[in-house]
Amino acid sequence: MTDRLKETTIHAALAAAVTDVLESMFFIETFEESSESPEAPATEVEIRFDGDPPGRFQMRLAPEAAQCFAADFLGEDAGSVSERQSADVALELANMICGAVLSRLESSACFRLDSPRIVLAGGLAEAAEASRFTVETGNGRLTAAIQWGGRTCLATAEYVS
Amino acid sequence: MAYRVLITDDSPAMRSFVRRVIELSGFELSACFEASDGAEALAVLRTEWVDAILTDINMPGVDGEELLRRLAADEMLRGIPAIVISTDATPNRIERLMALGARGYVTKPFRPESLRAELERTLGAPCD
Repeated sequence: MTDRLKETTIHAALAAAVTDVLESMFFIETFEESSESPEAPATEVEIRFDGDPPGRFQMRLAPEAAQCFAADFLGEDAGSVSERQSADVALELANMICGAVLSRLESSACFRLDSPRIVLAGGLAEAAEASRFTVETGNGRLTAAIQWGGRTCLATAEYVS
Repeated sequence: MAYRVLITDDSPAMRSFVRRVIELSGFELSACFEASDGAEALAVLRTEWVDAILTDINMPGVDGEELLRRLAADEMLRGIPAIVISTDATPNRIERLMALGARGYVTKPFRPESLRAELERTLGAPCD
Protein backbone atom coordinates (compact mmCIF):
# COMPACT_ATOMS: atom_id res chain seq x y z
CA MET A 1 0.00 0.00 0.00
CA THR A 2 2.80 2.44 0.83
CA ASP A 3 4.01 2.20 -2.77
CA ARG A 4 0.66 3.55 -3.93
CA LEU A 5 0.43 6.24 -1.33
CA LYS A 6 2.48 9.36 -1.12
CA GLU A 7 3.73 10.60 2.22
CA THR A 8 1.62 13.71 1.71
CA THR A 9 -1.48 11.52 1.47
CA ILE A 10 -0.62 9.77 4.72
CA HIS A 11 0.00 13.11 6.42
CA ALA A 12 -3.30 14.47 5.12
CA ALA A 13 -5.15 11.38 6.38
CA LEU A 14 -3.55 11.74 9.82
CA ALA A 15 -4.49 15.42 9.94
CA ALA A 16 -8.09 14.80 8.86
CA ALA A 17 -8.54 11.90 11.29
CA VAL A 18 -7.15 13.78 14.30
CA THR A 19 -9.21 16.86 13.53
CA ASP A 20 -12.40 14.90 12.88
CA VAL A 21 -12.16 12.82 16.06
CA LEU A 22 -11.34 15.77 18.32
CA GLU A 23 -14.08 17.96 16.85
CA SER A 24 -16.80 15.29 16.69
CA MET A 25 -16.25 13.45 19.95
CA PHE A 26 -14.50 16.02 22.15
CA PHE A 27 -15.75 19.31 20.65
CA ILE A 28 -12.17 20.60 20.59
CA GLU A 29 -10.78 22.93 17.96
CA THR A 30 -7.12 22.27 17.20
CA PHE A 31 -4.25 24.09 15.53
CA GLU A 32 -1.48 22.31 13.67
CA GLU A 33 1.96 22.65 15.24
CA SER A 34 4.93 22.75 12.89
CA SER A 35 7.44 22.00 15.62
CA GLU A 36 7.30 19.18 18.11
CA SER A 37 9.21 20.07 21.22
CA PRO A 38 9.26 17.26 23.77
CA GLU A 39 6.63 17.42 26.47
CA ALA A 40 7.57 15.00 29.20
CA PRO A 41 6.11 13.02 30.78
CA ALA A 42 3.49 12.21 28.17
CA THR A 43 0.95 9.44 27.68
CA GLU A 44 1.87 7.26 24.73
CA VAL A 45 -0.46 4.73 23.14
CA GLU A 46 0.41 2.15 20.51
CA ILE A 47 -1.86 0.09 18.26
CA ARG A 48 -0.36 -2.58 16.04
CA PHE A 49 -2.38 -3.67 13.05
CA ASP A 50 -2.36 -6.44 10.47
CA GLY A 51 -3.28 -5.72 6.87
CA ASP A 52 -1.67 -4.86 3.60
CA PRO A 53 0.89 -3.98 4.85
CA PRO A 54 0.94 -4.31 8.64
CA GLY A 55 2.14 -1.46 10.77
CA ARG A 56 1.65 0.43 13.95
CA PHE A 57 -0.09 3.60 14.99
CA GLN A 58 1.26 5.71 17.82
CA MET A 59 -0.16 8.64 19.73
CA ARG A 60 1.51 10.88 22.27
CA LEU A 61 -0.63 13.10 24.46
CA ALA A 62 0.40 15.76 26.96
CA PRO A 63 -0.77 14.89 30.50
CA GLU A 64 -2.95 17.99 30.86
CA ALA A 65 -4.59 17.28 27.52
CA ALA A 66 -5.23 13.66 28.53
CA GLN A 67 -6.96 14.79 31.71
CA CYS A 68 -9.09 17.42 29.95
CA PHE A 69 -10.06 15.00 27.16
CA ALA A 70 -11.15 12.44 29.75
CA ALA A 71 -13.21 15.04 31.60
CA ASP A 72 -14.92 16.16 28.36
CA PHE A 73 -15.53 12.62 27.19
CA LEU A 74 -16.97 11.41 30.50
CA GLY A 75 -18.81 14.60 31.39
CA GLU A 76 -16.91 15.08 34.64
CA ASP A 77 -14.79 17.81 36.20
CA ALA A 78 -11.12 17.59 35.25
CA GLY A 79 -10.17 17.48 38.93
CA SER A 80 -12.27 14.39 39.58
CA VAL A 81 -10.92 12.29 36.69
CA SER A 82 -8.81 9.36 37.87
CA GLU A 83 -5.57 8.22 36.27
CA ARG A 84 -7.36 5.06 35.11
CA GLN A 85 -10.17 7.05 33.47
CA SER A 86 -7.64 9.31 31.78
CA ALA A 87 -5.80 6.26 30.41
CA ASP A 88 -9.07 4.62 29.25
CA VAL A 89 -10.04 7.71 27.27
CA ALA A 90 -6.54 8.02 25.77
CA LEU A 91 -6.79 4.38 24.60
CA GLU A 92 -10.21 5.00 23.04
CA LEU A 93 -9.01 8.24 21.44
CA ALA A 94 -6.07 6.42 19.83
CA ASN A 95 -8.39 3.64 18.66
CA MET A 96 -10.72 6.11 16.97
CA ILE A 97 -7.92 8.08 15.30
CA CYS A 98 -6.19 4.91 14.08
CA GLY A 99 -9.42 3.52 12.62
CA ALA A 100 -10.21 6.83 10.96
CA VAL A 101 -6.72 7.06 9.41
CA LEU A 102 -6.77 3.52 7.99
CA SER A 103 -10.29 3.93 6.62
CA ARG A 104 -9.22 7.11 4.85
CA LEU A 105 -6.06 5.60 3.39
CA GLU A 106 -7.53 2.42 1.97
CA SER A 107 -11.30 2.26 1.95
CA SER A 108 -11.46 -1.20 0.39
CA ALA A 109 -8.80 -2.90 2.50
CA CYS A 110 -9.32 -4.90 5.67
CA PHE A 111 -7.15 -4.14 8.66
CA ARG A 112 -7.26 -5.95 11.97
CA LEU A 113 -6.37 -3.72 14.87
CA ASP A 114 -4.85 -5.03 18.08
CA SER A 115 -6.14 -3.56 21.33
CA PRO A 116 -4.55 -0.19 22.07
CA ARG A 117 -2.06 -0.18 24.91
CA ILE A 118 -0.14 2.36 26.93
CA VAL A 119 3.59 2.12 26.20
CA LEU A 120 6.70 3.59 27.71
CA ALA A 121 7.40 7.06 26.34
CA GLY A 122 9.96 7.41 23.59
CA GLY A 123 8.86 5.01 20.84
CA LEU A 124 7.26 7.76 18.82
CA ALA A 125 10.65 9.22 17.99
CA GLU A 126 11.26 6.39 15.52
CA ALA A 127 8.46 7.39 13.16
CA ALA A 128 9.38 9.28 10.02
CA GLU A 129 8.67 13.01 10.07
CA ALA A 130 6.26 12.87 7.12
CA SER A 131 4.09 10.23 8.79
CA ARG A 132 3.26 12.21 11.87
CA PHE A 133 0.91 15.04 12.71
CA THR A 134 0.98 17.29 15.76
CA VAL A 135 -1.73 19.61 17.02
CA GLU A 136 -2.00 22.03 19.89
CA THR A 137 -5.21 21.28 21.78
CA GLY A 138 -5.20 24.22 24.15
CA ASN A 139 -4.07 21.98 27.01
CA GLY A 140 -0.95 20.52 25.43
CA ARG A 141 0.03 18.76 22.27
CA LEU A 142 -1.22 15.61 20.63
CA THR A 143 0.98 13.82 18.10
CA ALA A 144 -0.27 10.96 15.95
CA ALA A 145 2.10 8.86 13.84
CA ILE A 146 1.86 5.85 11.60
CA GLN A 147 4.61 3.47 10.61
CA TRP A 148 4.29 0.79 7.94
CA GLY A 149 5.96 -2.52 7.47
CA GLY A 150 7.53 -5.14 9.70
CA ARG A 151 6.99 -5.20 13.36
CA THR A 152 9.88 -3.68 15.25
CA CYS A 153 10.56 -4.46 18.88
CA LEU A 154 10.01 -1.67 21.37
CA ALA A 155 10.29 -1.63 25.10
CA THR A 156 6.62 -1.63 26.07
CA ALA A 157 4.60 -1.91 29.22
CA GLU A 158 1.00 -3.04 29.52
CA TYR A 159 -1.16 -0.56 31.36
CA VAL A 160 -1.94 -1.92 34.80
CA SER A 161 -4.04 -0.12 37.34
CA MET B 1 -42.14 6.48 24.04
CA ALA B 2 -39.07 5.58 26.08
CA TYR B 3 -36.72 2.77 25.07
CA ARG B 4 -34.53 0.18 26.77
CA VAL B 5 -31.02 -0.02 25.30
CA LEU B 6 -28.01 -2.29 25.82
CA ILE B 7 -24.53 -0.86 25.18
CA THR B 8 -21.77 -3.42 24.55
CA ASP B 9 -18.17 -2.19 24.46
CA ASP B 10 -14.98 -3.32 26.19
CA SER B 11 -14.05 0.30 26.88
CA PRO B 12 -15.78 1.63 30.02
CA ALA B 13 -15.05 5.15 28.79
CA MET B 14 -16.82 4.48 25.49
CA ARG B 15 -19.85 2.91 27.21
CA SER B 16 -20.13 5.93 29.46
CA PHE B 17 -19.76 8.30 26.49
CA VAL B 18 -22.41 6.54 24.39
CA ARG B 19 -24.85 6.51 27.28
CA ARG B 20 -24.28 10.22 27.96
CA VAL B 21 -24.61 11.14 24.28
CA ILE B 22 -27.90 9.27 23.99
CA GLU B 23 -29.27 11.04 27.07
CA LEU B 24 -28.02 14.47 25.97
CA SER B 25 -29.44 14.02 22.48
CA GLY B 26 -32.93 13.92 23.93
CA PHE B 27 -33.54 10.31 22.97
CA GLU B 28 -35.88 8.89 25.60
CA LEU B 29 -34.34 6.08 27.63
CA SER B 30 -36.33 4.16 30.22
CA ALA B 31 -33.41 1.83 30.94
CA CYS B 32 -29.80 1.50 29.83
CA PHE B 33 -27.77 -1.66 30.39
CA GLU B 34 -24.04 -2.14 29.80
CA ALA B 35 -21.88 -5.13 28.87
CA SER B 36 -18.13 -5.38 28.31
CA ASP B 37 -18.29 -8.10 25.63
CA GLY B 38 -20.69 -10.32 23.71
CA ALA B 39 -20.93 -12.98 26.42
CA GLU B 40 -21.90 -10.42 29.02
CA ALA B 41 -24.41 -8.92 26.58
CA LEU B 42 -26.07 -12.31 26.06
CA ALA B 43 -26.22 -12.77 29.84
CA VAL B 44 -28.00 -9.44 30.21
CA LEU B 45 -30.43 -10.41 27.43
CA ARG B 46 -31.39 -13.58 29.32
CA THR B 47 -32.88 -11.48 32.10
CA GLU B 48 -33.72 -8.10 30.56
CA TRP B 49 -35.75 -7.17 27.51
CA VAL B 50 -34.24 -4.36 25.44
CA ASP B 51 -35.47 -2.50 22.37
CA ALA B 52 -32.04 -2.08 20.78
CA ILE B 53 -28.43 -3.20 21.15
CA LEU B 54 -25.48 -0.92 20.43
CA THR B 55 -22.30 -2.94 20.00
CA ASP B 56 -18.62 -2.47 19.34
CA ILE B 57 -16.91 -5.06 17.13
CA ASN B 58 -13.33 -5.47 18.36
CA MET B 59 -13.73 -6.87 21.87
CA PRO B 60 -11.86 -9.62 23.70
CA GLY B 61 -13.76 -12.87 24.25
CA VAL B 62 -17.05 -12.92 22.35
CA ASP B 63 -16.57 -10.07 19.90
CA GLY B 64 -19.21 -8.09 18.03
CA GLU B 65 -19.29 -10.37 14.99
CA GLU B 66 -19.87 -13.44 17.15
CA LEU B 67 -22.52 -11.58 19.13
CA LEU B 68 -24.38 -10.82 15.88
CA ARG B 69 -24.16 -14.51 14.89
CA ARG B 70 -25.50 -15.68 18.25
CA LEU B 71 -28.33 -13.14 18.17
CA ALA B 72 -29.32 -14.30 14.67
CA ALA B 73 -29.29 -17.94 15.79
CA ASP B 74 -31.53 -17.30 18.79
CA GLU B 75 -35.27 -17.29 18.12
CA MET B 76 -35.98 -15.10 21.12
CA LEU B 77 -33.28 -12.53 20.39
CA ARG B 78 -33.07 -12.25 16.62
CA GLY B 79 -35.82 -9.63 16.53
CA ILE B 80 -33.87 -7.14 18.62
CA PRO B 81 -32.21 -4.61 16.31
CA ALA B 82 -28.44 -4.36 16.72
CA ILE B 83 -26.51 -1.26 15.72
CA VAL B 84 -22.75 -1.53 15.27
CA ILE B 85 -20.55 1.31 16.52
CA SER B 86 -17.07 0.91 15.06
CA THR B 87 -14.02 2.82 13.94
CA ASP B 88 -13.93 0.70 10.78
CA ALA B 89 -15.60 2.59 7.96
CA THR B 90 -14.50 0.30 5.13
CA PRO B 91 -17.42 -0.73 2.86
CA ASN B 92 -16.37 -4.41 2.94
CA ARG B 93 -16.60 -4.55 6.72
CA ILE B 94 -19.93 -2.67 6.85
CA GLU B 95 -21.42 -4.99 4.23
CA ARG B 96 -20.18 -8.05 6.11
CA LEU B 97 -21.67 -6.92 9.42
CA MET B 98 -25.00 -5.99 7.87
CA ALA B 99 -25.06 -9.47 6.30
CA LEU B 100 -24.52 -10.95 9.76
CA GLY B 101 -27.67 -9.23 10.97
CA ALA B 102 -26.73 -5.69 12.03
CA ARG B 103 -29.62 -3.31 11.34
CA GLY B 104 -27.58 -0.13 11.62
CA TYR B 105 -23.99 1.11 11.53
CA VAL B 106 -22.42 4.17 13.12
CA THR B 107 -18.78 4.97 12.41
CA LYS B 108 -16.60 6.45 15.13
CA PRO B 109 -16.04 9.35 15.33
CA PHE B 110 -19.71 10.32 15.25
CA ARG B 111 -21.74 13.34 16.22
CA PRO B 112 -24.47 12.90 18.87
CA GLU B 113 -27.21 13.65 16.37
CA SER B 114 -25.94 10.87 14.07
CA LEU B 115 -26.26 8.27 16.82
CA ARG B 116 -29.75 9.44 17.75
CA ALA B 117 -30.82 9.44 14.08
CA GLU B 118 -29.55 5.88 13.58
CA LEU B 119 -31.29 4.70 16.76
CA GLU B 120 -34.57 6.30 15.66
CA ARG B 121 -34.26 4.97 12.12
CA THR B 122 -33.60 1.47 13.37
CA LEU B 123 -36.43 1.56 15.90
CA GLY B 124 -38.82 3.20 13.47
CA ALA B 125 -39.21 6.14 15.83
CA PRO B 126 -39.85 9.61 14.43
CA CYS B 127 -36.93 12.03 14.10
CA ASP B 128 -37.41 15.66 15.19
